[in-house]
Amino acid sequence: MSATRRSRIIRFLFFRFVVSIPVLLGIIFLTFMLIRIGGQDPVAMIAGPVADSAMLSAIRSQLQLDQPLLKQFLNYVLLVSQGDLGVSWQGGKPVLSEIKQLFPATLELVFLSVGLAALVGVPIGMRSALKPNGWFDQLTRFCSLAGFSMPTYWLGLMAIFVFFYLLRWAPAPMGRLGVDVVAPTFVTGSVLIDCLLEGNWSALNSAMSHLALPVLCFALLAAAPIIKQTRAIMLEIVGSDYVRYARANGFSQKTIEKIALRNAAGPLLTFLGSELTSLLAAAALIEYIFSLSGLGQWGLNAILLGDFAVVQGYVLTLALCSMLIFMVIDLLVLMLEPRN
Amino acid sequence: MLTKKDSSAIVNCVNYSLGISRRSPTFAVGLLIVVLFLMLALMADVLSPYSPTQSFSYKVLNHPGDQFLFGSDGNGMDVFSRVLHGCRYAFGISIPAGLIMITIGVPLGLVAGYKGGLVDEVLLRILDVLRSFPTIILALAVVAAMGQSLTSMVLVIGVLDSPIFARVVRAEVLALRSSSFVMAAIAMGNPAWRIMFVHILPNAILGVTAQLPMRMAWAVRISATLAFIGVGIQAPTPEWGAMIRQGAEFVITGEWWVALFPGIALMILVLGFNLLGDGLSDLLDPRRRSVGK
Amino acid sequence: MLKTQASVLTLLLILASNIFPVVWAQEKTLVIAMNSTPKGVDPDIWVPGQIEATVNLYEGLTSYGTRVGSNGKLEVDPSKIQPHLAESWTVSPDGKKYLFKLKHGILSPFGNELTSQDITWTYEKSAQQKRTGQFMASVGRIEKVEAVSKYEVRFQLSDANRIFLGALTLHLPAIFDSVEAKKHATADDPYATKWLSLNSAGFGPYHLQSIQSGQQAVFVVNPNYHFKKPYYTKVIWREVPSPATRVALVRTGQVQYAEQIPFQQLSVLRTDPAVKVESVPGFGGATVRMNPRYPPFDKVKVRQAVAYATDYAAIGEAVFLGQGTRSRSMLNSPIAGAVNAYKYETDYNKAKQLLTEAGYPNGVDVTLEYSTNWWWEEPLVLQMQASLAKAGIRVTPKKIPSTEMLARRTINVWTVPFLTHLTSSFVPDPSYNMFLTAHCKGSSNVNANCDAAMDKLIDASAIERDEKRWLSLIEQAQNLQADSATFIETFLPGTHEVFAACMKGYLWKPHNRLVWKDLNCSS
Repeated sequence: MSATRRSRIIRFLFFRFVVSIPVLLGIIFLTFMLIRIGGQDPVAMIAGPVADSAMLSAIRSQLQLDQPLLKQFLNYVLLVSQGDLGVSWQGGKPVLSEIKQLFPATLELVFLSVGLAALVGVPIGMRSALKPNGWFDQLTRFCSLAGFSMPTYWLGLMAIFVFFYLLRWAPAPMGRLGVDVVAPTFVTGSVLIDCLLEGNWSALNSAMSHLALPVLCFALLAAAPIIKQTRAIMLEIVGSDYVRYARANGFSQKTIEKIALRNAAGPLLTFLGSELTSLLAAAALIEYIFSLSGLGQWGLNAILLGDFAVVQGYVLTLALCSMLIFMVIDLLVLMLEPRN
Repeated sequence: MLTKKDSSAIVNCVNYSLGISRRSPTFAVGLLIVVLFLMLALMADVLSPYSPTQSFSYKVLNHPGDQFLFGSDGNGMDVFSRVLHGCRYAFGISIPAGLIMITIGVPLGLVAGYKGGLVDEVLLRILDVLRSFPTIILALAVVAAMGQSLTSMVLVIGVLDSPIFARVVRAEVLALRSSSFVMAAIAMGNPAWRIMFVHILPNAILGVTAQLPMRMAWAVRISATLAFIGVGIQAPTPEWGAMIRQGAEFVITGEWWVALFPGIALMILVLGFNLLGDGLSDLLDPRRRSVGK
Repeated sequence: MLKTQASVLTLLLILASNIFPVVWAQEKTLVIAMNSTPKGVDPDIWVPGQIEATVNLYEGLTSYGTRVGSNGKLEVDPSKIQPHLAESWTVSPDGKKYLFKLKHGILSPFGNELTSQDITWTYEKSAQQKRTGQFMASVGRIEKVEAVSKYEVRFQLSDANRIFLGALTLHLPAIFDSVEAKKHATADDPYATKWLSLNSAGFGPYHLQSIQSGQQAVFVVNPNYHFKKPYYTKVIWREVPSPATRVALVRTGQVQYAEQIPFQQLSVLRTDPAVKVESVPGFGGATVRMNPRYPPFDKVKVRQAVAYATDYAAIGEAVFLGQGTRSRSMLNSPIAGAVNAYKYETDYNKAKQLLTEAGYPNGVDVTLEYSTNWWWEEPLVLQMQASLAKAGIRVTPKKIPSTEMLARRTINVWTVPFLTHLTSSFVPDPSYNMFLTAHCKGSSNVNANCDAAMDKLIDASAIERDEKRWLSLIEQAQNLQADSATFIETFLPGTHEVFAACMKGYLWKPHNRLVWKDLNCSS
């Protein structure tokens, strides 16, 4: 790698890092204010059903909820910078440890689904772009639009009905492992990886069968935008000047496809990155329906109950994750750029 | 009595429509679906055998059959009537949300693209934040905080999508800014606002129009998702997402009809909007493929 | 693909069970599907899942006796209180001093013996935390708890009352193994509350082994349990938030118990040979409450009109699917002294007439607020909307978040004019129940039910020692409540527990949670 290239990359990383901090702060601020402006009063939830007003105000001052909002926010930011994300009010577990435990589950689901969707979707999108408006193209366009239109949760429910209730092929949607298997020791948090590391084959089997349906449903829905976008990108490239020039010069179809692919890689990766981030959030619904106890299910619950620290931690995690993904993708694109 | 002029006008109309359909079947199908649902929404009262909120206390969770075409739900209400009335809510949410998007997004995109400067910077920052922020969580939090009402949902959805709409407008404006007719207008001493609204806007609007049905599809989807999670819709409102929410409880024990029919209706309408948008982008600019969400 | 995986798994399981038959025979595991894993196990701090766990971890000095009910089944007899962790007790003539002798040799899973130190430590902890434990202590009017000797404890009450012994049957204030608990105390946390919220240290039949939040919790039997050894040596508590999924799991035999099953599932389940449904009416009643501080509910005639305009039969059918029991008063059996005080039946004409007399000839507009605390709230509200409309009472349903409901219905806040609520309590004592629900100082008084005459009756009944006079006071209170019509009594949803078909030994306890130690599935 040349020195200029290296310095470009370093400059890029530094710049992105600096820019991301105000954005992150903005996100934290937004979340912080949003959950507090509503009428949700978590104090009653913490105190329980047999609380009187004295107990309630005692708890409120104990949690510093009677301080001015800005002061509470600054306190929170200070604590976060020290690594303390607060405690969940439903049981007192620290938010950071819950995230460490639950996030791998979501990542497992999302990566498997996006991986499957990309594996299937990218070739389909490419094939359909190479013969635009042919019957294959029309069919895939229609199917991908149908995929766009299906509500995630509805598909999950119908899949459960058909594959579990009617056919009894899939196991009951009650988590990532069956009751009769021993859970693997927690190493990465991803059930599949942990089972593999331990050599726990029965649990691995159970985990795979429990993940099958949610991953399939999620992948189906993730595939739709991937197919559409791949097709769009490919069409753009195939119709571009240098491909036409290559074709005019008599290069074989295969070589042209290779050229097209190399040029498509950049925009495709960028797109996959943004898909990944939006799917990280959408995973919450799939997790809820299939009881996969991932980050999304936990965060969703917390929003509805007004568990402030958990919501803030959840949004922060997702935001950090997506910013990281964008940074990595942009870096990859920068490195892949043939003009460098 | 049709004069020759009238009949030839009608024939021209039909030919025109058929021509469009041949050029873009997606547009035709999409339009058909959307118009069909619109008719269903308008005629819901006439077509429904029962009131959507009438509870038949002794007929809870009945199979689809003679009395209830799509069966009855957990409160003894007719699913068919509720699905029909759900069309009203779908349009009732997406149309105002769309209007809000246009009202905020178009001027914002125009100014950001043409003038640049502070407005542009702010818009780009907002877009950055939105890119990393899980949008559904944002919508959820706001609606949960602002209280369970349709108005808050419409407002949130409309405002949330405006920046994205603005981004499309901005891209169009940026492309047009350096075109010759705009340069000429500037040279002739036109004030900025005039250039934006009289010269640029009419040319930008075409590329933007294709986005609108996509945004409306998203509005219908996300309002149903929010209702499914349990915010924004008050029972017994016959909104599709809320119906699927109730139906979710019954699916695993075999009462499939409560969740199935609203889901199908939702899917078809969203598909219709998407086809419409896709088809529009085909028609308006066959070379460019829309980059919708 | 999934099928072959399943058969490989089955093969592995058969192999495993053949290689380790001894292990499998000794350990009996109960797998239960619950709504959420316990978010904490300190009985003083209410969090979801806590009570369902702690009733199995901690036991009281006394317990209820049993009798054979009218249907031939064994049931709890609230009038019979017998010693449990205690050996015996004596009471002073004025009824204010109780001296308990503890049984010897009661050991915790950590091997420590129960002594009077544990009892006093428990009450000190609750007093310091000022939460549910302290509330329960005040219900029994406990003023002071002191250790007299190693196995003797004296309770000093502020008033003689009937509730005290019943309150001692409960799992809270929990009797902790204070020797073990003190090991985890710190300067900031002298009662080890942090450790106790995630660990158990008691003398009950079970002991918490582990919790994986959001997934499962594992409980093991207390090897030193003093009483009859439970059949199940291990309990695996799985979190399954979806009720319909819980049903599916128990039907396919993957769990042996599923909690909080929706009613529409129950009639189907009763006909399923793989499942057993145990139903008791319980004494919790689904009510709709009116707050007399808000018009139009400040007029008793309006409240009575609402009572007449409620379609009870429709509610029984549509909401409770014929599985509930009609509530006849603010107190229902098995609470002693319950009478049929609530005499309202559906009569729209009477309702309209009462409204006109109250000054609302053209009907009235009200908002009925509810939340997600109980499954029947929304369907009940919708039925109320439908039937009240027939008398000109136009109801707008409004769902509010459960935290908001909890905050607004709290005692002395009382800003909900019209709401749904479940009348229930841990102790089947009439004075206690009435105090909780209908007394101005009761913590379950959610609708500002403040009537001086009612308070006087309730207070008098709490300390009345003559049986006849006591029953008469209770009857008067119920009639007074029914006439004031601030509660619309609908149905007792009942407790319907769903088990695998082989399950025996289920005994309903007044705290209305499943007790694992009595269950067995031996054929």
